[in-house]
Amino acid sequence: MEEIIESTENLQLCSLCKTEIELDSVFCGSCGFPENGTDQQVNIFHRRLSFNKNQKREADKKIKSARNTLYVLAGITILFSTIQFFSHQDTATLITGFILGVIYILLGSWTSKKPLMAVLLGLLLYVTTIVISAIVEPQTIIKGIIFKIIIIAYLTKGVFSASSIKN
Amino acid sequence: MQTCPKCDYALSNEVKYCTQCGVILKKPQVETRAKSLNLVIVFYVTFLLFSLISYLIYESSEPSLALELTIESVFALLVIGFSLSNYKSILKLYKLPIFDNKIVTFTLLFPVLSAFFVSISIGYLNEWLFEVYYDNYYSEYVYLSNPILWSFILIAILPPIFEELAFRGFLFNELSNVASQRVTIIATAFLFALVHFSLISFIWIFPFGLLLGYLRSKYNTMWYGIVIHFIHNFIVLMIDYYNYNSELVVY
Repeated sequence: MEEIIESTENLQLCSLCKTEIELDSVFCGSCGFPENGTDQQVNIFHRRLSFNKNQKREADKKIKSARNTLYVLAGITILFSTIQFFSHQDTATLITGFILGVIYILLGSWTSKKPLMAVLLGLLLYVTTIVISAIVEPQTIIKGIIFKIIIIAYLTKGVFSASSIKN
Repeated sequence: MQTCPKCDYALSNEVKYCTQCGVILKKPQVETRAKSLNLVIVFYVTFLLFSLISYLIYESSEPSLALELTIESVFALLVIGFSLSNYKSILKLYKLPIFDNKIVTFTLLFPVLSAFFVSISIGYLNEWLFEVYYDNYYSEYVYLSNPILWSFILIAILPPIFEELAFRGFLFNELSNVASQRVTIIATAFLFALVHFSLISFIWIFPFGLLLGYLRSKYNTMWYGIVIHFIHNFIVLMIDYYNYNSELVVY
């Protein structure tokens, strides 16, 4: 009984995350807050915390851009395949375009739950469609190259931003 | 117990930060995720380029056994090369599972049904939607002196071994570092379907990949996936062999 009282007497609560820490601990073992540290250590901790929050905000912005990119890709794919169908009676392109468009929309909406995987799969799907188009018609690799680079850049940024945040 | 790498202070295993110097003890998950993510992207882009180059070589060269074997060998070496980066966890997946009657029966019966379903339905779908006639896999090897043997090796034997190692082995392990098991199953199935370069095939390869991923995740072995993949490909090949010879008799 005495031992229990003694052990609780040696503990204090972290003022940031409320985890129990020992009195002789300088830092909280759970969140790293310098509970018994110097003012300088507390300042450094708060600066790091604020940096992490900014980083998360930036990452959220890039994920949002990536999500919009997937929706734009869906729109362009469906629009292009519809135009192809009406101008060349090309049913194959229409079906392919609609299926691809639906996949992009599904991935776009999945970004709200699983941003990393949704944007990663969107990026790899887009790169694959470029390669398949290049196999079918080699000149397509040059067509709209700037647009393709912009799309890839937005999606890649989205992937790495999503991987930099915890959830 | 663990010790702080910076100040050598003895700490309990639960803490994430050193309570004396404040250094982060556990390698941030973000770093592991970024490493796995880079590997997944490099792996996928490598295989995309490999597929593109193989296609161009096939288009510009006369078909030959040497060419087939070279391309298959390069594919196998690439898969093994990537797998070596995490060979310890991949080797564990080759451990024989404890056999259970239900899963063994399923492993033997399911691919029989899937092979017949794919052979019949995808042919009709391709013909109906795209006016493209179903490729007969066996017919691609009839120029060889022993087509049944070589098509058996190149269709039924090698793909189940190396595709399973690539997707349910290497890729599955790397993706599970960045996502939950459920999401990993979906992602590996999606990429497995994507590399087959056929939107119609996506309809059956995606669920097929989901099943193989689920079995890999549940039983922690690749053997069920390899056997299902082998039986499926073998029966598709046998159906193609039968169709090819029937057509010859008709003509």
